[in-house]
Amino acid sequence: MPRPVKETIAFSIDGLEVNAPAGTMLVDAAKYGDVEIPVFCYEPKLGQPVGACRMCLVEIEGIPKLQTACSTPVRDGMVVHTQTDRVKEAQEAIVEFLLINHPLDCPVCDKGGECPLQDISFGWGPGRSRFIEPKRHFVKPLELSPLIAIDRERCILCYRCVRFSQEIAEDYQLVLQERSANTYVSTFDGHPYVAPFSGNIIELCPVGALTSQPYRFRARPWDIEGSGSLCTLCPAQCNVEFTVRDDRVLRVLSRDHPEVDDGWLCDKGRFAYQSVHVDQRITHPHVRVDGELVPVSWEQALDAAAEGLRAAGAAVGALAGGETTNEEGFLLAHLVRAALDSPHIDSRTGGSLPRELHAALHSPSLQAIVPDLEFAHAVLVLDCEPVDDAPVLDLRIRKGVRRNRVKLAVATSRPSALDANATAVARFAPGAGEAFCAALNAALGGTGVVDELAVAAGAEGAQVRALAALLAEAGADVVIVYGERLTHGARGEHAARALLNVAGRLIDGGHEGAGLLELPAGSNGRGLREVGVLPDAGPGLSAVNQTGLDSRAMGAAAAAGHLRALYLLHVDALRDLPSRRTWAAALHRAQTVIAHADFLTEGLFEHADVVFPAESYAEKEGTVTHPDGRVQRLRPAIARPGAVRPEWQVLADLSRRLGHEPGILTGAMASAVLFDAIPFYAGLTLDELGGRGVRWPTRPASAAWPAADTGPFGLETPPHAPTPNGVLRLGTFRSIWAAPEVELSPALKFLRQSQRAELSPADAQRIGVGHGDHVIVASNGASVRATAVLRAAVPEGTVFLETGIAENSATVLEDAVVEVAPA
Amino acid sequence: MSPTILFDGIDEPGLNTIDVYRRRGGYEMLQRALTTMTPQQVLDELLASGLRGRGGAGFPTGKKVSFIPAAHVDKYLVCNADESEPGTFKDRELMQKSPHMLIEGMVIGAYAAGANRSFIYIRGEYIEQADIIDAALIEAAAAGFLGENILGSGFDLSLVLHRGAGAYICGEETGLLDSLEGKRGNPRLKPPFPANQGLYQGPTLINNVETLATIPHIIRMGGAEYAKIGTESSAGTKLVSVSGNVQRPGNYEVELGTPSREIVYDLAGGPPEGREVKFWFPGGSSSPVLLAEDLDLPYDFDSLAKAGSMLGSGAIIVVDDSVPVVDVALKLAKFYRHESCGKCTPCREGTRWTVSMLERVDNGLATPMDLDIMASVQEQIIGNCLCVLGDAMAMPIGSMVKKFRDEFESHIEQARARNPFLGQGGPREPDPVLLQGAGNA
Repeated sequence: MPRPVKETIAFSIDGLEVNAPAGTMLVDAAKYGDVEIPVFCYEPKLGQPVGACRMCLVEIEGIPKLQTACSTPVRDGMVVHTQTDRVKEAQEAIVEFLLINHPLDCPVCDKGGECPLQDISFGWGPGRSRFIEPKRHFVKPLELSPLIAIDRERCILCYRCVRFSQEIAEDYQLVLQERSANTYVSTFDGHPYVAPFSGNIIELCPVGALTSQPYRFRARPWDIEGSGSLCTLCPAQCNVEFTVRDDRVLRVLSRDHPEVDDGWLCDKGRFAYQSVHVDQRITHPHVRVDGELVPVSWEQALDAAAEGLRAAGAAVGALAGGETTNEEGFLLAHLVRAALDSPHIDSRTGGSLPRELHAALHSPSLQAIVPDLEFAHAVLVLDCEPVDDAPVLDLRIRKGVRRNRVKLAVATSRPSALDANATAVARFAPGAGEAFCAALNAALGGTGVVDELAVAAGAEGAQVRALAALLAEAGADVVIVYGERLTHGARGEHAARALLNVAGRLIDGGHEGAGLLELPAGSNGRGLREVGVLPDAGPGLSAVNQTGLDSRAMGAAAAAGHLRALYLLHVDALRDLPSRRTWAAALHRAQTVIAHADFLTEGLFEHADVVFPAESYAEKEGTVTHPDGRVQRLRPAIARPGAVRPEWQVLADLSRRLGHEPGILTGAMASAVLFDAIPFYAGLTLDELGGRGVRWPTRPASAAWPAADTGPFGLETPPHAPTPNGVLRLGTFRSIWAAPEVELSPALKFLRQSQRAELSPADAQRIGVGHGDHVIVASNGASVRATAVLRAAVPEGTVFLETGIAENSATVLEDAVVEVAPA
Repeated sequence: MSPTILFDGIDEPGLNTIDVYRRRGGYEMLQRALTTMTPQQVLDELLASGLRGRGGAGFPTGKKVSFIPAAHVDKYLVCNADESEPGTFKDRELMQKSPHMLIEGMVIGAYAAGANRSFIYIRGEYIEQADIIDAALIEAAAAGFLGENILGSGFDLSLVLHRGAGAYICGEETGLLDSLEGKRGNPRLKPPFPANQGLYQGPTLINNVETLATIPHIIRMGGAEYAKIGTESSAGTKLVSVSGNVQRPGNYEVELGTPSREIVYDLAGGPPEGREVKFWFPGGSSSPVLLAEDLDLPYDFDSLAKAGSMLGSGAIIVVDDSVPVVDVALKLAKFYRHESCGKCTPCREGTRWTVSMLERVDNGLATPMDLDIMASVQEQIIGNCLCVLGDAMAMPIGSMVKKFRDEFESHIEQARARNPFLGQGGPREPDPVLLQGAGNA
């Protein structure tokens, strides 16, 4: 869908001739002439203006009544006055009205000092009030949710929070109750406002009515500093500003980046900063002495690690977790390949996609960018759940559907939060993404029989055809958002080829506004592959002499005693990786386990030999790469606690000890060396990245991206999804809340997930369990306890369990089918 | 005497049934319009008639219909039967006694506007009237005047009656549309106007009951003939609800331009014996008040506007000299405070503030300076609101303070003197009524 192109028009404001894009609302157009028009309710991110607060009244020649500048589009030749007596009187009147019921408790209000109501009262108000009557009163403050306090007396009823809930997050929880001055914001039934994006209303509130419970009374604006960086808790990599007081992060605010996050944050991103400062943080290096992990000096820890690695030689396996920066990944690859001469390094949690397919899937000509989700003709959400995998993109997809009538197709195993917004929905068996893509490819005119392939995928032919028709007829701008999980599993490369075939039928290579967008499993999944944290690719996806083991094979090899040392860079093997039992055996069997970690997890506590304290994301320096190719910069907001050292330095020191001088002495040098080593990053500098990042696919150096065959490929007949005959297919998902940062943040603790088995009501009835009953899900001798959750949208024959949780994670179950029984 | 158009034979028993209505020539105009005229021809008659909306704003009806775009999209006709303006009860009588006249007018109106779906949004308290309309809708549909292919003309129209839930703001057209869509009844920002984006974002013609009920008569008489009734800019007749201190309150149909005195005295009988008209609302409770000497004004849109008030919904409320102006002002302000939807600042806060000040005036706790503030607050409301509800309070209150300033001041003085805690010159006998009011009894 073409982006709106606006011609420039000329208008006059306060006697100044100003040029502005046609159709811009006067409030925004005025800024082109450096004229500020005060607003409360106007927030273009929330959609159409509502004109409720009346603060922006201006005089327009030729129109007798004052007009709201927030809702009046500028037109050529318009003559606007914002400084006349009439306008001033109106502005003063509105401020006077707004303050008559406002408690004016600024000295004890969290918003004080950064409050638009204060600023506008000062700038445009009358400076005195004639109101001597009693004010309206409400009980206050109340918990709107465990995260948000609401003070209804301070509320000026600007509607922002309600509009956010209704039109942006579409959780439809917040409403206005009662009428006139007695109106108040509430959930309809008084239940707590708990939703993935609820925290945004705190930032939207122009007064102190909605305040953050964790931040309440922690600081005043003159106590704090803002520090721009990124949130690396998920691949969305939202741009954030850390509020820092005395070297502690007290708050996370959005640093609006229209090409990344559109100015929103999820509640995990907004509140999980608390985990940076919890007592569980490891702040000193630890080495296992007589079976116990004890804090030691850096020298001792590095020596112990070097010794363990030297002893293992090439029998070392290294894994990098999603929060690893490009620089750290690059140095890890250097350590493993150059210093230890081992080929076994990986950053993917499952699957073993060859580098040619990585190159094809991410080729700059097939790359969709985040804003494309908003303007595409059609978006296909394939085998991913944006609200869990990269939450802020869920909002972007909703925005496209709501505002630009983007046609949405959802093809997933588990019912998606986006189903209600979708024009077409198709379900397929968990893990049958390959067969589904093959069926979709056939329905789009490719080879194969749609119905046969649909049966293999556990899908319905009619649904596949409807989806194909929608995508084929929508228009040229088709974006496919797919989850990395599609290419996991033993047949990941076949799934990737089938996906490329589908893409080839829907997307013109090089056409702007169309393309593929992967949601990686790890925050920096894309960057880590690009810097060479793959078993078959070096920096820049270059070829390597010897292909190593992928992560799954590393687990198996270590469990079988073939790998002597494991290097875990930000990986909690028992929590983040599939096949928990294999990894438990691997950790047990390996002679040396070296880990970089924030917290002593179960696996490390028992098995790690050397633990290096990891930096939190608020302390990190380096770069990460967004799923759409934007290289973004992390800047340290606070000092590292205790003895924590930069991890690039730890990795460089280890290389040095093992006889390979990486030649890196500062964080900036690490970035520079990295940019030099990756041909398609060539010439990037930290300065160029600045605060907004740079999409490397738009730079000339992108020509160095390795050429790859993007299909069409001949497809093998995909295997049939298992038949749920008496047993159930097992599907897994990782919720947005399944993260140690959530469990360790006091404010978010209430969202800690316990295992739930999502069942269709029919299956539940057959098994004899009801909603909320305890069940045992078992396969092949392993079992998981869960609470049954009946969801009508779950397809019959499948049960969904959660992974990534601290206890009872579904990763102990390795078969595709499971038995569910009442506990 | 004025010609009688809408109320012609209105009291005939059984007129609410289709048989009686048809015997009196009902639905013939629907047949004429749909089978012998094009929508454009109907529209031309409406334009020629000079009919102006009877709901309050007085916008020319034909012009409003012509704003509906010709595009092939779902278009809507909505009849505003919320009749919530205090003092107004004309639509109630029309709907109760001649529901088919409204239905016939709506079908013809929808035909002219190209609308295929229509709604009557009726005030929730009009339970009896709603039942009558529901019965009439069944009759009309059975007779083929509603539904698909009406009278073989190829024109389809569905008509649904929707009952409101008791909010004044839902008589405001965009608030009504939101309420009809199932949302909180709050007014919308205009533009876009309903003619472009109304109900469910579709082009929507929204008119008052009386306006729509007049349409069959315009078709019968011809627009040009209708325009001869009334004055040049206020064509036709108007149903006037007269209430307050008059001897014969009720609905009267008058030719526009009739002297107001004739309506108040000749038709409604004037104030009770021995009383004088102190002031009167010419167009419902939201119109600025006029004085007794203004009774010579012709009752039409322009004359009343020129006098600083408005014809509004055509509801005359007469207040005689036995009633303190402060009582009227307070009652009125409380009504608007209660009905303000709370969406925009001046109305939400201004109505509440005004009530507080008037209560102090009534208790004797105010000073003349408060009257200045009160007048200024009304000025701050007028023209600065999202819809006209704020103005609807500010205009009459402002006019009362201005025209009866002396009485407001003496009211304060008298109240202060009566108040045992405020009076000057030492303690007085406690007033048992006041003590009770203060919660001390």
